[in-house]
Amino acid sequence: MSTLLEMTGVRKRYGGVQALDGADLTAVGGEVHALLGPNGSGKSTLDKTLAGTVVPDSGEIRIDGEAARIGGPRDAHALGVAAVHQQLSIVGDLTVTQNVVLGLEPVRRWGFLDHRAARDRAAAALERFAAAFSGRLPLDRPAGTLGPGEQQIVEVAKALAREPRVLVLDEATASLHKEQVEVLFEVVRELRAAGVLVLFTSHRLDEVFALCDRATVLRNGRTVGTVELAATGEDELVRLMVGDLPHPADLAVAPPPAGAGAAVLEVRGLTTDRLRDVSFTVRGGEVLGLGGLQGQGQSELLLALFGAARITAGEALLDGEPLPLTSPARAARAGIALVPGDRGRQGMFASRPIQENLSLASMHRRALGRFALRASSERRAARTMVDRLQIKLGSPADPVSTLSGGNQQKVVIGKWLLDQPRVVLLDDPTKGVDVGAKEEIYAIVRALADDGAIVVLNSSDNRELAELSDRVLVLFEGAVAEELAAAAVTENRLVSSALRLAPGESL
Amino acid sequence: MSAPTVEAPRRVLSWRPGPVALAGAIAVALVIAGELVSPGFAGYGQLVNLMRVAAFLGVIAIGQTIVIIAGGGGVDLSVGKVATFAAIIGSRVMAGDDGDLVPAVALALAVAAAIGLVNGLGVTLLRIPPFVMTLGMIGVVQGLILAYTGGQASGRAAPALTSLVNGRLIFDLPGLLFLWAALGLLAVWLLRRTTFGWNLFAVGANRTAAELSGVRADRTLIVAYVLSATFAGLGGILLLGYTESVFLDLADQYMLPSVAAVVIGGTMLAGGIGGYAGTAVGAIVLTVLQGLLTTLDIGGAGRTVVNGVVLLVLLSLYGRQRRLRS
Repeated sequence: MSTLLEMTGVRKRYGGVQALDGADLTAVGGEVHALLGPNGSGKSTLDKTLAGTVVPDSGEIRIDGEAARIGGPRDAHALGVAAVHQQLSIVGDLTVTQNVVLGLEPVRRWGFLDHRAARDRAAAALERFAAAFSGRLPLDRPAGTLGPGEQQIVEVAKALAREPRVLVLDEATASLHKEQVEVLFEVVRELRAAGVLVLFTSHRLDEVFALCDRATVLRNGRTVGTVELAATGEDELVRLMVGDLPHPADLAVAPPPAGAGAAVLEVRGLTTDRLRDVSFTVRGGEVLGLGGLQGQGQSELLLALFGAARITAGEALLDGEPLPLTSPARAARAGIALVPGDRGRQGMFASRPIQENLSLASMHRRALGRFALRASSERRAARTMVDRLQIKLGSPADPVSTLSGGNQQKVVIGKWLLDQPRVVLLDDPTKGVDVGAKEEIYAIVRALADDGAIVVLNSSDNRELAELSDRVLVLFEGAVAEELAAAAVTENRLVSSALRLAPGESL
Repeated sequence: MSAPTVEAPRRVLSWRPGPVALAGAIAVALVIAGELVSPGFAGYGQLVNLMRVAAFLGVIAIGQTIVIIAGGGGVDLSVGKVATFAAIIGSRVMAGDDGDLVPAVALALAVAAAIGLVNGLGVTLLRIPPFVMTLGMIGVVQGLILAYTGGQASGRAAPALTSLVNGRLIFDLPGLLFLWAALGLLAVWLLRRTTFGWNLFAVGANRTAAELSGVRADRTLIVAYVLSATFAGLGGILLLGYTESVFLDLADQYMLPSVAAVVIGGTMLAGGIGGYAGTAVGAIVLTVLQGLLTTLDIGGAGRTVVNGVVLLVLLSLYGRQRRLRS
C-alpha cells in the first residue's frame, strides 16, 4: 500500500520547552498506527499538528505525496483529517445531533437548517456505536446529560461524520468502559478495512497490542523508531520508549528519612470520584513522589489532601490528628500548603503586585488582630522570600505577571513558605519552567525536606521524580499501582512501571 | 554652549498617566471650560458647592468600589434604594430630635447592613449573579419602604445631623467634606492596609487561586456586599442631613452614577484592579460635568447623552493606556 501520511522534521517550541524536535511519522492507508512515548515526549503535540490545532515552527506534512499546509482545523478537515482528543469538544447544551453535525450542518435553500438531514447524518455516524448506548441512540438529548464515556463516543462519531481519511484518536479510550472500548475497536477495524488510517494513542499498552499494526515511538520530541507490533515484545517497546542509556540521575541518592519524632502524615482509603482507596504514610524529612502517566489521579490526590475535592471515603491523619479535608482554608490552618498544577489559573494573581502574591497565605499571622496590616512587616516578609528563593524582580510592587515563568512559580512557592507549613504538596512545580529555575526549585524542595517538612511531589518528569523522591507511588487510574522505594526509584523503573500495567492489574 | 547630555531617568520617560491622573485632568479641564463659558463657575463658593454635591455620590460609591473589585461580575444596583431606605428610617426615628440621633443612625445602618447580607448570601450561597440579585433587591426594598411608610415619608433630620453636614468649619468648608475625606481615608486604608482588602483584591483577580491560597472567598464576598449596603445607608443619612426632610425616592438616582464613578476612577469591572482614590475623582468628574451641563442650560435628554459619551471616551482612553503599557 502506498504512503498516505508523511510527516518529516516537525518542530514545535512552547516558550522554553522544545515539545517536538524533529519528529517523523510515516503511515499508510488501511492501518492502525500507534503513537507511543513517555510523558512529554510530544505525542499529543504531533497529533495536534496534524489536526491543525497547533501550527508547527517547521517541518513538512505530506498527504498522498502532496505537500499539505495545515494552518488550522478547517485546513485539516479539508484534507480529510479528523481528530478526537482526550479533552472533549462537546457542547453540553446542544443535542447529540447538533454536536455531531457541528460545523457541517446541512442547509436547504436560503440557508435554512435541514433538521431532518442533520438527524439522519448524526444517526448514520452513531449507528455503529448503538451497542455503546445500550441500543437506543440519544439523538435529541443534550450532550451534557450523557455519561463521560458516552460523550467520548459522541466525540468519535462527530469525527466520523466528517468521513475522514485520517482519524486521530488521542487517548480517546481513557473515559470508556470495557464494553465501549470493544465497540470502538470494532469500528476502528471497519475503518481500517475501508482504507482509513487511524493514528492511535493510549496509555494502556494492552490496547495498543490488541488494536494496532505498527507503532512509532517518540522520545523527547524526536522519533526513535517505527516497529511492527506483531514482531515486538512489550519489553522491547518499553526499552524503545525509555532509552538504553542510564541517566546519572537514575542512581537516586536518597537522604536517610528523618528518624522517630518527625511528623507523620497517614492517609487511609482516600476515595473521591477520581481516586480509589489511596493509602500511604509519609514522614517529615521525606519526599514522596507521585508517578505514573499524567492524569492518573495525582493532581486529584493533592487537591483532596488540601480540602479542595469532595471526598467520599477515607481520612488523613497528621501526627494522629484527623485533618480537616473540607476546605482549603481549614487545610491551610492545619499546616498544609499546596502549590497547584496550573499556575495561571490556580496559583497566582497575575494582575496583583508580587508583594500581595507573596503575603496572601500568611499575612493574617503578621497583622494586628489578624486584620490591620503593617506595610513594613509585609515588605520584610516578602523580602525574605525574594532573597531566600532568589526571585529576580524589578520591584515587589510590580504585577507578578511581569516575571518569568520560573520566578512566578517561586512566588507561588514563597507564598506558602511564609506560612511555615508542615506538609507541602507540590503539583508538577517545574512545568513550563526553564532549566536554571528548575534546579533552583529542586534545591528548595530538598531544603524543605531537610528542615523536616513532609513533601508530596507530583511530577510529569520522571527524571525529576528520580532525582528528588525518596519513594514514589505510581498511580494508575486513580489507585496506587506500585510503590517504588529508595534504590528502585529510577527513571527506567518509573516509566516501565507506569506503562506496563493493564487496567485489570490495578483494579 | 553645549549642555552636558544628561540621560533622563527612564521612569519619567516611560511614565504614562494612569486612570486616576487622567480623570483628575478631565475634572480640571471641565472646571476651566465652565469658567470660560460662564465666569464665576470656578469661584470658591461654587467649587465648594460642587464638592458637596459630589460627596454624597462619593460616599455611596465607596461600597460600589468594594463590590466591583470583588470581581465575578460584582455590582450593587441596590445602593440607591438602600440609601433612600436608610434616610427614611433615620428621619422617622430621629424625628427632628437630637436625643434620638444615635439610635436612629444605628438602626438605619443595621437595616442597610442586613440588606447587604442578604445580597451577599444570594450571590455566594445561591450563586445568583450580582446584577440579578441586587436588581431584584431594588424591588424588595421598594416594597419595604412602602410598607414602612404607608406611602408617606415622615419625620425630620435632627438639627445636630444637619449642622454636622451643612455647618461651616475651617475655610468655610461644610462639615460634609470632612466627613467624606475621613470616610475616603477609611476606605483607602481598608482596601490597601487590611487583610480584608488584600483578600478582596485576590478574590477579584482570581477566585480559584484565592481559595487555593486559603482565602475564604465566600466570606470575603459577603462582607463586601454588607459594606456596600452600609456605606450606601451612610450616604442616605448624610443626604437626609442635607435635605432635612425625606421623600420616597430621595437617593434612587445614585444607582448608575455610583457605578460610573467607580469605572471612571479606573477600577476594572472585571474585578481585582482599582481603588477608592480613583472613585472619589470619578464622583467629582461626574458632578462637575452635571454642573457644567446645568450652567449651559442643556436639557435632561442632552445631559444623559453627554454623560454617556464622556464615559465612553474615558473608557476608550483607559483601554489605550493599558495597551501602551503592556
